[in-house]
Amino acid sequence: MSATTEIVFMLNGAERRVGVPSTMSTLEMLRDMLGFTGTKYGCGEGECGACTILVDGASVNSCLMFAVDCAGRQVTTIEGLANDPCARVVQDSFVKHGAVQCGFCTPGMVVQSVHLLATHPHPDELSAQRAIEGNICRCTGYKKIVDAIVDAGCAVGDRS
Amino acid sequence: MSEVLQSTAPSTLIGQRIPKLDAPDKAAGRTRYVHDIQLPGQLYGAILRSERVHARILRIDTSKARALPGVSAVITAADIPDQRPIGVVKDNLPLKTDRVRSLRDEIAAVAAESEELARHALTLIEVEYEDLSAVTDAADSLLPGAMLIHPPIAGAKSGDPVGLAGRDDNIAMRFDYVHGDVGQGEAESDVIVEDTFYLHYVTHCCMGVSGVIAEFDAKGNLLLYSNTQVPFLHKREFAEYLHIDPSRVRIIQPPIGGGFGSKLDIYPFEVICVYLARATGRPVRMVYTREEEFMASPTRQPVRLTLRSGCKKDGTLTFRSVHTLHDNGAYTSWGATTPVVMMQAFASLYRLPHCEYHTVAVYSNNPYAGSFRGYGNLQATFAIESHMEKMAAAIGMDPLAFRLKNAHVKGEETGQGNIFRSCGFQDCLKIAAERSDFLHKWREYTGKQKEPGRFKRGVGLAAMLHVGGGAKIYQSDGCGTIIKIDDFGHVTLITGASEIGQGSETVLAQLVCEELGLPISAVSVVNNDTEITPWDVGVHASRTTFVAGNSAIGAARKAKDKILEAAAPRFACAPEDLDMKGGGIVRKATGEMLTNLPRFIRSLHFAQQSDLVITTNYYEPPSVHFDKGYKGDISAAYSWAAQVVEVEVDLDTGAVRLVKVTGAHDVGRVLNRLGLEGQIEGGVVMGQGYALTEDLQVEGGKIRNPNFRDYKLVTAPEVPQMDISFVESMDGEGPQGAKGVGEAPAISMAAAIANAIENATGVRITSLPFTPERVYRALHGALPELPTTPKVAA
Amino acid sequence: MNHAVERYLAPTSLTQALAVLAESGGATVLAGGTDLMPQSRAGRVKFARTLLNIRRVPGMDMVEVADGKLLLGALVTISTLVDHPLVRDHAPLLSQAADHFASDQIRNAATLGGNLCNASPAGDTLTPLMALDAEIELVGLDGTGVLQSRWLPLDGFFTGPGRTQRKPNELLRGVRLPVAPDDQKVAFYKAGVRPALDISTISIAFAARRRDRAILHDVRLALGAVAPTPIRARRTEALLEGKALTAELVRVAAASAASEATPIDDVRASGWYRKELVLNMTQRILEDVGNN
Repeated sequence: MSATTEIVFMLNGAERRVGVPSTMSTLEMLRDMLGFTGTKYGCGEGECGACTILVDGASVNSCLMFAVDCAGRQVTTIEGLANDPCARVVQDSFVKHGAVQCGFCTPGMVVQSVHLLATHPHPDELSAQRAIEGNICRCTGYKKIVDAIVDAGCAVGDRS
Repeated sequence: MSEVLQSTAPSTLIGQRIPKLDAPDKAAGRTRYVHDIQLPGQLYGAILRSERVHARILRIDTSKARALPGVSAVITAADIPDQRPIGVVKDNLPLKTDRVRSLRDEIAAVAAESEELARHALTLIEVEYEDLSAVTDAADSLLPGAMLIHPPIAGAKSGDPVGLAGRDDNIAMRFDYVHGDVGQGEAESDVIVEDTFYLHYVTHCCMGVSGVIAEFDAKGNLLLYSNTQVPFLHKREFAEYLHIDPSRVRIIQPPIGGGFGSKLDIYPFEVICVYLARATGRPVRMVYTREEEFMASPTRQPVRLTLRSGCKKDGTLTFRSVHTLHDNGAYTSWGATTPVVMMQAFASLYRLPHCEYHTVAVYSNNPYAGSFRGYGNLQATFAIESHMEKMAAAIGMDPLAFRLKNAHVKGEETGQGNIFRSCGFQDCLKIAAERSDFLHKWREYTGKQKEPGRFKRGVGLAAMLHVGGGAKIYQSDGCGTIIKIDDFGHVTLITGASEIGQGSETVLAQLVCEELGLPISAVSVVNNDTEITPWDVGVHASRTTFVAGNSAIGAARKAKDKILEAAAPRFACAPEDLDMKGGGIVRKATGEMLTNLPRFIRSLHFAQQSDLVITTNYYEPPSVHFDKGYKGDISAAYSWAAQVVEVEVDLDTGAVRLVKVTGAHDVGRVLNRLGLEGQIEGGVVMGQGYALTEDLQVEGGKIRNPNFRDYKLVTAPEVPQMDISFVESMDGEGPQGAKGVGEAPAISMAAAIANAIENATGVRITSLPFTPERVYRALHGALPELPTTPKVAA
Repeated sequence: MNHAVERYLAPTSLTQALAVLAESGGATVLAGGTDLMPQSRAGRVKFARTLLNIRRVPGMDMVEVADGKLLLGALVTISTLVDHPLVRDHAPLLSQAADHFASDQIRNAATLGGNLCNASPAGDTLTPLMALDAEIELVGLDGTGVLQSRWLPLDGFFTGPGRTQRKPNELLRGVRLPVAPDDQKVAFYKAGVRPALDISTISIAFAARRRDRAILHDVRLALGAVAPTPIRARRTEALLEGKALTAELVRVAAASAASEATPIDDVRASGWYRKELVLNMTQRILEDVGNN
């Protein structure tokens, strides 16, 4: 077993202190140690986006990030977006547009969409497609997800 | 609780865009899948799989694994003397005894305190093999003297299944179908075409990997948290493997991260997890890694197919003769039975006087094939619709006119005995062609094939027929429903039909609310616990909306009758004078609101000697089983579709870009427009992946690309424009006129794309996938020729 | 288990980081982790005793222009290469190639230095940087603990798949490349089954100056995934150098580029197809350059 390192970081706005093995992924830490199961394991290789989280505001695959590297950073999971106004707009838009089927890719899609809207509040169809190119969905054919993101962009933009 | 007398809801829920009931939780990351459940005391299971394609197991040494601290159990076949073979023909022992037949074969299993520990323990297990020669090409499996995959086992009793008795050949299943007289059809033909097609391996790639949790209570009753699509069939099977009564098996289905047919069969890992729970007396969770999901999940069955078709100069089809060879893999799952669906496409997609279809599914040392959305129909339709194009060209007819000439209409019965009581096929063809400007573009692009330029456009049309009213495969194709209306007027719809992401719970809720005049918010659905829900045969064959929908409507009508019968005396009228609308009871003639539902239900329930408003209903579709010759009206309704695709072929690279899909689907009637669109769009893109990007590369029994990096699913930027129309043929038996549609959209995609590539380049490709290199090779005549499918004497 | 890291360190100065690297037994360097994580899990990379996270070392994520050179720190993310105005202005070829890199999530985490040190023949930043005459800086401590720096042309840095000239005690600190001259023409092409989230079947990066709207100078043609390392197609560059593009020259140059490629068959494509792609796409690129 690898050595354990104690790290301190902000998880969904609250400080956490955790001892993590050096080679553990952030995904494993979130799901198995901390019980934040909204972030999903889809492939463990950064090829599907189901485990997308925000680190210092940027979206990353938590399966590719070493948990030790969370030290000192702001980590936000789908659970941490529960009271985020932009995320609520995105989630409502996903529901309304039928962008959810089996739902397994959905938390990653939502987090990635929130990241997109933070930098591009009014994405067009093409930029929404590009933004989720690293998020695989096997059910929907993506169209409704893209519609939901574009529409959420409008809603977020109108609000501000 | 709201007691609103005036409703602002639209007068009908049918055809509306109703968001999925489970979507808010899913979008919030609050939904708990099997991977997210952690029971107190839970252990983690992992399986040691064969490293050899085909070998004898000489020795298994588990002592080091057993000695590892934190390991609770290590089991091999020797520890489970009461094992029974599982699967469709019972040829698959969960833990292998003396022989492994494919790389996914299960040799030993561990339960430990963590997943990491369990996987580490696997590395400590020593296995000694003696390699056997492997059969990794289906055709080789048929050769005289071929290595037997399940050789006869000495001492087997007569009637023992393959897993206990073995076989003296490598044939897992065969099907022979005939209607009419193909010889006569050939004689009457002006044009005859023959080609061999090859359809490749693909796999489901559910985003949620396979997983199960098994737990026994103190009385030895089994509780399974399972992703299965067939909970009631599972219940019986697990009872059989444990030698207990089925009533002692309870299956809870947490929300499922995608199904697509992959969870129709029982798999060794599920049984092994149960054995681990039994051995440890603790709950055991077993969840695959993605690599394991690729290595150890069923595939869509690869098929070699030789099709011979004929027509007359005037475009009338004369006959079709088909031989197919299915690579079944080492064990038999539902993949071997897909010919039952394929033969329907061959026999009945178009009006056809003469048809024969012969197939064998053979054992090999390759991964074994399961059921996958479309169930063989993608493969069959690819061949049929390629030939329709070829024959149309041979007689100088356009592809649309040729299809219309042979397309069924309402009221026809096919040679196989399918009766089309509703049929929007001709409308589908016309609408898809018209909305895509098909004929104009088809002529234009044909004319431009020889012009210079890097990018070539093409359009392709393909159609499909699939069961849309269930399929009578099992003894029952039925579904039960219980409806409970509580004292607050809230409806609990308890259905046997599972939700696997496709939206069945929403559409069932909608149908019930429509009957009861309630808004969609007035109902919740319980559909995931065999201890509570009534029987359903499972989620497959695009049957849930149709069968479970009819069942739910029936239960709702009984509830409504009960309520109105009780209400009639109070309002001094006959039950027929009343209706349920807007959340209350109204006078039918005037629409006058007499009472709201919650108040009335309370007065009913709290009256003396009263009955509760709880109703039950069972619906069995009026379909029949096939006879011995595979003839009969197997479904209560049939769905149709036509799809036109437009592609752009890059001659420099062979890359095919799917630009647009114009589809017209005969869905009977649109129930939930949002959910319906979602099914079609998702299916279109799944069909796109089958045709253009996905390719499970199996070489010498080994999967070369067991990951999302090299097994390429379609990503968002590749999604085409989609223009989907719905033809409402109003099926007389369907719930509110609707028919099943879940599998339809994927079925004709590969065929349409093949036709479009030919329209663009003049080159017809008869083997999948159309990945850039394979298309580039085809354009340069550098694809290997396909040998004809071997014919196997009955 | 493969995961036997005894010590994790995240130093906050370059000297500290280099001191760790200089210790016996060395260290596995962690930056973005997007490659290290899957490679180590698959057993293709073995961890050293120490896992050394260099992301806390200050100054290594800089993007600057000085003395006619664009300077990029090793910790610059791929997203920065896509978006940063200085990169877009002064190395548009690199920006363009970075935009084809994996996915947004990976671009946000993966670093330039990591992509170079992984030395995959298909690495997306490698061919454009080779075509742009990039140099890389390797730093290490000498026996007395003094920081030593050496600059190497990127071309020549790669010695095989996953292998480079970097010594175990060295870190790649950054990259420098001449800012794009006004008359520079560039093109990047990446082939894959999908437009996104794909590893190149092949990639081609082209850069050249064009004087008097016709004559090509300083021609660079780099090819990815056609050899054990990304390569410069030097014979082809020489064919084009000082010449105006004609249809015949384009044809000859494309054939030459294909002959310089020595690709293998693997799970993604055959060697034959890769050569065909090099031929066809070099031709397209040169035609486009000629026509614009």
